[in-house]
Amino acid sequence: MKILVIEDDPTTGAYIADGLRQEGHGVDLIPDGADGLVQASVGGYDVIVVDRMLPGLDGMAVVKTLRGAGNRVPVLMLTAVGGVNDRIEGLNAGADDYLVKPFAFGELSARLAALGRRPQMSDAPTVLKARDLEMDLLTRQVTRAGQVIDLLPREFTLLEHLLRRKGRVQTRTMLLEAVWDIHFDPQTNVVETHISRLRAKVDKPFDHDLIVTVRGAGYRIDAE
Amino acid sequence: MRLWRSTPVRLTATLLIVFGLSTGVGTTVTYLIARDEADTALRERVSQEFESYRRIRGQRDLVERILGEIGSVAAADLIIDYRSDSGDRFSNVAGLPSLGGLSIVAERQLPEGQTPLAESYLVVEGRVGLGNLTLARNREQVSELWSTFSVLLVVSLLPTFAIASAIGVWSARRASVRVESIGQTLRDLTEGDLEARVTDVTGGPDDLAEIAAAVNQMADAQAATMASLRQVSTDIAHDLKTPIQRVSVLLEQLEDGQLTEAQRGIVDKARAETAQIVRTFQALLQIAQIEGAGPQAAFAPVDLADVVAGIVDVYEPAAEESGHRLSFAAAAPAMVRAERSMVGQVVANLIENALRHTPPGTAIAVGVDGASLSVADGGPGIPEPERAKVLRRHYRLEQSRTSEGSGLGLSLVAAIAALHDATLQLSDNAPGLRVTLTFPTP
Repeated sequence: MKILVIEDDPTTGAYIADGLRQEGHGVDLIPDGADGLVQASVGGYDVIVVDRMLPGLDGMAVVKTLRGAGNRVPVLMLTAVGGVNDRIEGLNAGADDYLVKPFAFGELSARLAALGRRPQMSDAPTVLKARDLEMDLLTRQVTRAGQVIDLLPREFTLLEHLLRRKGRVQTRTMLLEAVWDIHFDPQTNVVETHISRLRAKVDKPFDHDLIVTVRGAGYRIDAE
Repeated sequence: MRLWRSTPVRLTATLLIVFGLSTGVGTTVTYLIARDEADTALRERVSQEFESYRRIRGQRDLVERILGEIGSVAAADLIIDYRSDSGDRFSNVAGLPSLGGLSIVAERQLPEGQTPLAESYLVVEGRVGLGNLTLARNREQVSELWSTFSVLLVVSLLPTFAIASAIGVWSARRASVRVESIGQTLRDLTEGDLEARVTDVTGGPDDLAEIAAAVNQMADAQAATMASLRQVSTDIAHDLKTPIQRVSVLLEQLEDGQLTEAQRGIVDKARAETAQIVRTFQALLQIAQIEGAGPQAAFAPVDLADVVAGIVDVYEPAAEESGHRLSFAAAAPAMVRAERSMVGQVVANLIENALRHTPPGTAIAVGVDGASLSVADGGPGIPEPERAKVLRRHYRLEQSRTSEGSGLGLSLVAAIAALHDATLQLSDNAPGLRVTLTFPTP
């Protein structure tokens, strides 16, 4: 992907740019809001990372101006303040996702991947598949290797979310937000316990594990 | 007897006693003087009458005159008693003893009979002609002076007493309302309500108004100190976030290198600690932000039971894993005006507290009843005197000091409750702790 990073803190900026380059993305790093806006308008990026607090033009203004000009490029906003209202303000300004500092690189990477390849709603599938697992969204039946797996509604939603993004890492916070609509950081390992319950039904009785833990980042469906 | 402790009432009472005593003494002295003068006047009158008898020449004329008088004068007005040397006695009162030496005689010293007598008489005795004459004139006018003065005393004192007492009680009431207002404000301030002020400073510039103003000034100063303290902690948290971001970046880079299993363990620990620091700062900043926020326009109708059920669902597997029994029940579900995510966070924090501070096997009952939600556990609970303190930032009970957590969970709950005008109540679940949050019903 071609990614624009607008971040004034040199350490954080370099960290993001280096990390993304290592993952094979093309990255432009700009430390100023006004320059960033110009670059964003002409650069043809797949996704933009913008810090909320910038010298000159701040992140909110950058996003608002882009949206005002009809630019629909996905934007992830970084911020040091993480209140509920800040998140809502950021999303209202036109940002597609919001990440509070400090964050792990895995979190940023997973969110950018999600933004860059948003699921195409046009080809709404009725059956999701990963290896020998099948999920029928109409009958809400899940089978693996021909065996029916009984899932609770919440387990079904969790598995559906992972299957729709198979192969891509979903972090704890992404899952909390998408599956449970939780926008704060629980101090208990709630996602882990849900995943381990799901695994007990989906993976444990079978030879191969479909739900893979990505160290330091999150989980993904192994779609090989 | 609360009223008696009031300064105005005591002052009024003291004044009334002093005033009553002085008026009483004054009236008594005046009465004694007036009585004396009246007696003197009466004595002169009786003496003159006596002299008029003395001036009569000839025993016969004297007796005739005395008999005439006895016939025409009522004993209640004037007692006439004449004993001649020859043993004759003329009197309008039968059996009158010798009153010799007495100047004032009361009815009870006189013989009982049909003759109506006055209460007291002024007596003049002496020799007239060939005998002894006793003249005793009704002294009621003089003794009536006492009742006149008594009435006068009562009439002059009663309104004074009534008005003064009424004013005393009234000003005591007024003062007590203001004193109570000041006292309540001080109690509220002590309990941590920094917004508390003495509002009832009516009554003009007096000592109580001055005290009220001083209390308000003190409260303002305290609030300002707290605000700047809060601002400082917010600034610190904010400024430290960037270096912490760098530390976590460095730890992540360290992890990417070649590490032994032991080194990897240390890096993991360091990352976990960094995450805890971040969580604490996050909570601090969030509390500061919520406490600094005004009334929320972003509030929307929220189905309380729906939000709470969602959070319980999230925590259910985690609770089972730690051996707790988490249950949920909803009665009369209601809509409340709230920020959905904050309500969820309240429930999450309360459940996490219950998971953290109760032993495995403990039941945790989450409930929604109308506009209130509750989280009740069967754990060790919080002793009554500690309950208000646990809402303070970083306050932790002695026994939970070693467990993880920032000590900000309940403070955040309290801040969110305050933002929603909701009532937060910690009570005894017998055994255990019950936390109830009641939203205002629209």
